[in-house]
Amino acid sequence: MIEQAPALILLVPFFVSIFVALLGNRFQGICFPLSVLSLIGSVAASVTTLGRVINEGTIRYRLGGWEPPMGIEFRIDALNALVAVAVSGVGLLAAIYSKRAVLAETPDKVSQYYTLFLLLITGLLGMVITGDAFNLYVLLEVSALTSYALIAMGPKRATLAAYKYVIIGTIGASFYLLGVGYLYIKTGSLNMFDIHEQLIARDIFDSPAILVAFIVITVGVWIKMAFFPLHAWLPNSYAYAPTTSSAILGPLMTKVMIYVMIRLTFTVFGSDFAFIQLDWSDIIVWMSVVAILAGSISALAQTDLRKMLSFLIIAEVGYMVGGVWLADDMGLVGSIYHIIADAFMTLCVFLFAGIIFVKTGKRDITALDGLFTKMPLTMVGLLVGAFSLIGIPPTAGFFSKWYLIQGGVASGHWEYVIALLISSLINAVLFFRIIEIAYFGVKPAEGHGHHDSDTHESGPNEASFSMLFPLLATAAALLVIGLYNQDIVAIISSFVSQFNFGVIGI
Amino acid sequence: MSAVSDFPDWGDPNSPANSYRLSQHYVTETIHETSVPNMVTAVLADYRGYDTMFETVVIFTAGIAIIGILRRFGNDDKDAAKPTLYTKKPDLIIDTTCRLMIPIIQLFALYVIAHGHHSPGGGFQGGVIFGASFILLAVSRDLQAAQKWVPEKRILNLAGIGVLIYAGFGLGSLLLGQNFLDYAILHKIMPATPIEARSHSMLGVEIGVAFTVTAIMFSIYSNLASNGSMKEGL
Repeated sequence: MIEQAPALILLVPFFVSIFVALLGNRFQGICFPLSVLSLIGSVAASVTTLGRVINEGTIRYRLGGWEPPMGIEFRIDALNALVAVAVSGVGLLAAIYSKRAVLAETPDKVSQYYTLFLLLITGLLGMVITGDAFNLYVLLEVSALTSYALIAMGPKRATLAAYKYVIIGTIGASFYLLGVGYLYIKTGSLNMFDIHEQLIARDIFDSPAILVAFIVITVGVWIKMAFFPLHAWLPNSYAYAPTTSSAILGPLMTKVMIYVMIRLTFTVFGSDFAFIQLDWSDIIVWMSVVAILAGSISALAQTDLRKMLSFLIIAEVGYMVGGVWLADDMGLVGSIYHIIADAFMTLCVFLFAGIIFVKTGKRDITALDGLFTKMPLTMVGLLVGAFSLIGIPPTAGFFSKWYLIQGGVASGHWEYVIALLISSLINAVLFFRIIEIAYFGVKPAEGHGHHDSDTHESGPNEASFSMLFPLLATAAALLVIGLYNQDIVAIISSFVSQFNFGVIGI
Repeated sequence: MSAVSDFPDWGDPNSPANSYRLSQHYVTETIHETSVPNMVTAVLADYRGYDTMFETVVIFTAGIAIIGILRRFGNDDKDAAKPTLYTKKPDLIIDTTCRLMIPIIQLFALYVIAHGHHSPGGGFQGGVIFGASFILLAVSRDLQAAQKWVPEKRILNLAGIGVLIYAGFGLGSLLLGQNFLDYAILHKIMPATPIEARSHSMLGVEIGVAFTVTAIMFSIYSNLASNGSMKEGL
């Protein structure tokens, strides 16, 4: 079975999603355990694959037994093996959390919800492990369609937000497809590695069609990842969706698209084309600086907890896009490490927001009033997530920012370094405001006694185990990722070291 | 615009897409490797069968998504006005015409599905035609009449089974020790040579696609037409 592990990463949740669709209406109780079991299988397969990649190097898995470029292949190297582990891990934790949340939020559509949930993870995993540019588009469609539906299944505002997302997301996907079409016209191939070889063999890097393909693909992917000027769809979609949906989409959708950007930029077009021939890294790093600042400052203005977190995602996307375009080894390492770290820290804070919403029914941060005494374990989970987003050691967020800042310094992009530091300070302000409300209460100045007695009687108590466990597991994962950062960076470096950044590189 | 001027000429036999070994291989080797005369189907269902499986999943997802968003279970649609305008007696001409047409449409759909690997056609096209025949039934009578033939539960089961058939061919080859969707190994459980097994499996997956497409076509129509109540409407 070990040779089949790459395929099993996504086939297990895929098959189970169909079974959930077939049997879930009749036996509603099986949806949750089946989903969790399938994702455990997926995590096991992706960890096995990561182990093989570390030992044996790149794994190629031919679908249908056809040799690429005739058939489609999975091509798994250190980068996507690592991202696949993160994606399936985040999926598993969100699935465990979903047990009560789905029953509370979409009680009559449980089987549909889990079918779409598993298909979303299938689509994301497929995008991560595929080595074929068109196959990536097909799985992009699977994950996009499911995410529209998962958002729209929320309350009324969510449907409107999802409608906006459908329009903008479809434009993004079309741009990507257009770019792939241009590449096919010029190279006659769809396999990512083969396209790159053909580009070199035919020596058509100067061709305007390739330039346009690069631009439309990059812009399409930027739309999908909500890079700053193209982010309008994200905050409302994630803020009003059912809590499980935002707990899975918030961490994964944008991160997987950043992986796609790295994969296409480096593997299909090559770093020489993107960084030396075009030399746009200054402009794009400045754009990411604007994205970081705009995301952070917008987050500061929000009182809705999940909306605030959604704007933080936009700032984080700025970190990673900037990190890639620093055109520096350390920056790229930082970006990839940040994909992993940010997936878990976003999951952590969105799980927290979900628990608060399900428990109190309120979206505002005032819902957190005095929660330290009532839900101490939940708040511990939040603290770790918040420290990671702020960047306090030894959490994962500190190390990813450390590598990104090193990259910024090494490549001389001081504006990026300053933006990162400002954004960290804003995160500190945001989360200490939350911690203050949760620890001291909303109005410490007026009416102590009454206030306390009111909330103590009617207030919520600790969340149930199925909600608390994923939150604390995510918090633990953040610490583990932080403490073992050298091992993870060693894996990432084996990917990054293939590319030379020309004169800039170390 | 500047990119378009850079494209190879229309129909140029030496353009990259035509001259590269990929298309060459498809054109010259398809019949030997898969014994399927229609190379479009061979590329679709075999060389790039993994893509097509997920295209089927996209359709399946669309159907589930429409149900997830629109479907209203229970009797909470009191406020929905009864469409008195549409309560009509069956019109003799429409009724008779559709009664004649529907079996022929369905027969043609089956032909398109079954002949996908010999002539233009296949699961997607045939499935759409088959689904259209149910929609015609719903339009010519009313949704209830069509629901009698294809109730909602059966529709969902059909859609799921369709995807399962496709994926089952993949899983079969995986269990027999080859890679996912490598149909050739299926000759062990089929009375055929490895190459013929590819051809037969393609027919099999086309049928799976047709199941899903038929079911989802009608499911989307009935959810949209009845505003999610599955009761009345057009």
